[in-house]
Amino acid sequence: MTRDVRDLLAAAAGLYRDDPRASALLHDCLNRLEQPLRVAFTGAPASGKSTLAAALGEWPTRALRDLVLLDDPGPADEVPDATVRLVRHLEPDELAAAHPPGGSPFARQSAVNSVLVLSRADEVGAGRIDALLTAKQLARRAWREDPLCTGFLGVIAVAGQLAYGGRSLRDDEFDLLAAFAAVPREELERHVLSVDSFTDPAFPGPIPVETRRSLVVRFGMFGVRLALTLIRTGCDDRIKLSAELVRRSGLGELRDTLAGCFVARAEALKARTAVIRLEALLAAQPRPGGDRLVSRVERFAAAAHDFRELRLIADIRGGRTALSGDPAEEAVRLLGAQGTAPADRLGLEPDADPGEIYDAGLDALRRWRHEAERPDRPHAERTAAHVVVRSTEGLLSLFA
Amino acid sequence: MTAPAWLEVLNETMDACRTHGRADLAERLRRRRDAPPGQIRLGVLGFPKQGKGYLLNAVLNAPVCAVGDAPTPAVPTEIAYSAEPAATLVGRSRERIPVAVERLTGELGARPAGTLSRVEVGVPRELLSAGLVLVDTPPVGDPRSPRTAAALDLLAEADAVILVSDATAPLSPAELALARHVRTWCPHVLVALTKIDASPGWRAVAERNRAMLAEAGIDAPVQPVSAVVRQAAAKAGDADLNARSGFPELLNWIAEQAARPADQSRALLAAVGVRAAAAELVESLRDRVDAAGQEAGLGQAALLQRAQRRADDLRRQNTRWQNLLSDEITDLLSDAEYDLRERTRKIVNTIDRTFDEGDPAKVWDEFAPWLDNALAEAVDVNYTWLADRAEWIAQAVAACFGAQYDRALPDLRLDGSGVEGLDDVRRPKIEKFKVGQQAFTGLRGSYGGVLMFGLVTSLAGLPLINPVSIGAGAAFAAKTIKDEGGMRLQRRQAVAKQAAQRHVDDVFLRFSKECRDSIRVVQRRLRDHFTGLAEELADELTHERETIMAGTAERERRTVHIRREIDRLAGLHQRAGELGTIAGRQRRELSA
Repeated sequence: MTRDVRDLLAAAAGLYRDDPRASALLHDCLNRLEQPLRVAFTGAPASGKSTLAAALGEWPTRALRDLVLLDDPGPADEVPDATVRLVRHLEPDELAAAHPPGGSPFARQSAVNSVLVLSRADEVGAGRIDALLTAKQLARRAWREDPLCTGFLGVIAVAGQLAYGGRSLRDDEFDLLAAFAAVPREELERHVLSVDSFTDPAFPGPIPVETRRSLVVRFGMFGVRLALTLIRTGCDDRIKLSAELVRRSGLGELRDTLAGCFVARAEALKARTAVIRLEALLAAQPRPGGDRLVSRVERFAAAAHDFRELRLIADIRGGRTALSGDPAEEAVRLLGAQGTAPADRLGLEPDADPGEIYDAGLDALRRWRHEAERPDRPHAERTAAHVVVRSTEGLLSLFA
Repeated sequence: MTAPAWLEVLNETMDACRTHGRADLAERLRRRRDAPPGQIRLGVLGFPKQGKGYLLNAVLNAPVCAVGDAPTPAVPTEIAYSAEPAATLVGRSRERIPVAVERLTGELGARPAGTLSRVEVGVPRELLSAGLVLVDTPPVGDPRSPRTAAALDLLAEADAVILVSDATAPLSPAELALARHVRTWCPHVLVALTKIDASPGWRAVAERNRAMLAEAGIDAPVQPVSAVVRQAAAKAGDADLNARSGFPELLNWIAEQAARPADQSRALLAAVGVRAAAAELVESLRDRVDAAGQEAGLGQAALLQRAQRRADDLRRQNTRWQNLLSDEITDLLSDAEYDLRERTRKIVNTIDRTFDEGDPAKVWDEFAPWLDNALAEAVDVNYTWLADRAEWIAQAVAACFGAQYDRALPDLRLDGSGVEGLDDVRRPKIEKFKVGQQAFTGLRGSYGGVLMFGLVTSLAGLPLINPVSIGAGAAFAAKTIKDEGGMRLQRRQAVAKQAAQRHVDDVFLRFSKECRDSIRVVQRRLRDHFTGLAEELADELTHERETIMAGTAERERRTVHIRREIDRLAGLHQRAGELGTIAGRQRRELSA
């Protein structure tokens, strides 16, 4: 795919040789293919973009190594390859505003580069202790049922502040929280009711108001209450508490989605950005002889199977297809949701020998071909099976 | 008793609103004028997820409003005093459905959107006992959504408004605009800053909000509150904690609204309403003056050319719809008759089959109702089909007029198919082969048989009547009866067939005439309707051309007229301001 795009860009560079601005743009497109994927965090002011980007950015695993996170780039800035859109509530007005923009037919058809995040999930339901669970349910329901969530690869509830606080929890903070947790519950209850009561001079113990204030600013009132509950129920050292806060914040789910949908598809998404920029250039500054290039771009767009795979993964996971259970699991795996290497797609060990991979591929191909041709299945289901068949064929073609 | 001064100003402004096509504003003022006395209505407004439901529940110390992720009702909830808790759903056509208070949220979720107009809840609360009504509204959002419209509808009757905005962020531009709009229509507004328990920076947000409101000239206090703290205080019976929730101040403000003298309050509300309506009206009139100014920029020649083009279009349209109508009606006439003929032919076939086999004497009683039903059904189906086709023709002709066709189709209801008036099929004279006749015929046959065989056997020396001749006589009698019976059956079948077929023919003749008449009625109605329309369009066009010819003079006259209206409204605005100052006494400034 990248090679096709390179050829297209080179042909375009020839066409616009005498135009320095267009040449610079095409040159930049070429360079970007070598660089890490750029993921933009967008959303209304105070939706928690920077906090979330920071919480993700400090992640030590290799899963997100090849990403550049852009905190709310302006429209005139560079074009991001993928987007994480933050909303504070799953309300129709906010969702409508967050909806990915249109663009050319290719841009719309391949619009598989956005994840929706219900940020500040800890504010759901007046910050009750089950706020995060409720938020996760709301997000899942919205993704499955709300037509305004159709275009997204996932709708994920994340408590950004909690995630960031948990990731960067310090020893002194843990000691403070542990000291508070040691106070009998009934006695403490009225002091953790609100920010004001927590920072009240009447708070028992010698901890200065400013220390308490910084704690509540870092973690939020919900975070403090949750941390106290967790310490009381067994998270008795910093590492454990930190891990549990992060786990509950929904950050892991977001990271997995970014790794599966963005990092694993970095080549395709970067190619997409380049093609869209090229399309825009060809439309804005038509040149004699540009027609041939336009039709080459169209051919490329029509053949790009990666985007169909991504779209179908999102549809299956969002419950928008008739597939469920084991077949759904197998389908998303074959489509490359857990990695695009043949062994990953077939669910084999990375060091499986080629013969084994080939046989497993052939077996999968036979079964899914059968699914794709069953006349008793609805059309949509057969279309989905066709995409899986195409992915499996692609995998086998590597052995030809 | 003389009418209060404000009533006169109000009525005059209402007239102006109506004259200038703002019936919505006039309606608002009318509701303000006719508001039932003895009730103070306090509305609660806000954008989604700001904590409106929690706030109201905390004010009432009762879970009346839906909170959290429960679906918020798309209609207002009016909460008033009642000795026992009670809830009523009020439907679109004013029907009232009582439901248990604790099941209210579920009942609301189960109703399809658009079937309710409001919800009424009664709770035994001291606060409400003097006639205070709290009105919870659907969340404000997209300005074009019906939810927003339903929320803002409150402003026609509210005596005071609480705007709800949470402390996680300062007022957004949209919230500030809402505050300005609300303050324009309602003199008593408070901004409740919710969720202060969870927001470390709420003091800064409150300050920022106060500054923004002051800067925008919106006179409204900001009251920080926490429903969570209030709830905990109520649970623990802790007065100190309650004081920290901010609710005592909020309740004081609410009580102040409820305690305001009614006369003074009504005058002030009327004055504010007049000023708001006058300001909005002036704005739309100014827009019109501007539009007129822009129109003047278009050359007269271009306008005339455009009118000419439209006249040409109209001529073409006229030929087209007339041809279409006459073609379609001709087709319908022949199709309807063919359809009816086809249906009756099938019935006649069945009649033939029935009487080729069956004996009318036995089956007639069953056959007659079947025939009547079959004919009635055929007629009815044919007629319904005809009516549908007529409707379709009307639409097809209307489509010839394109986008200009913006009115109701003519009434094509016809006077029924007359199925009830169909005569039942009459029973034909069917003679039966009775026992006496059979005996007689039998005797005739047996006599011949006895004679014939008696003569033959007499040659053998037997007497004329002997066992052989008697046996033959009996056999002949039976055969004769059988032959005679067969002949009579055929005759009966022929009679019955004839009678039934004649009846079918009668019905067909009568009804096909009725069909033709109905189609002609349809044709005439459509022709009159569309001729009228075409003439109207032509008149409009002529008028437009005249207006263009009359040119700028007319436009200027209109502009002057509108400017005079604006001056008049400014006068009303000022008078209302003076009345408001008197009513408000200490309130010197009224922002409009």
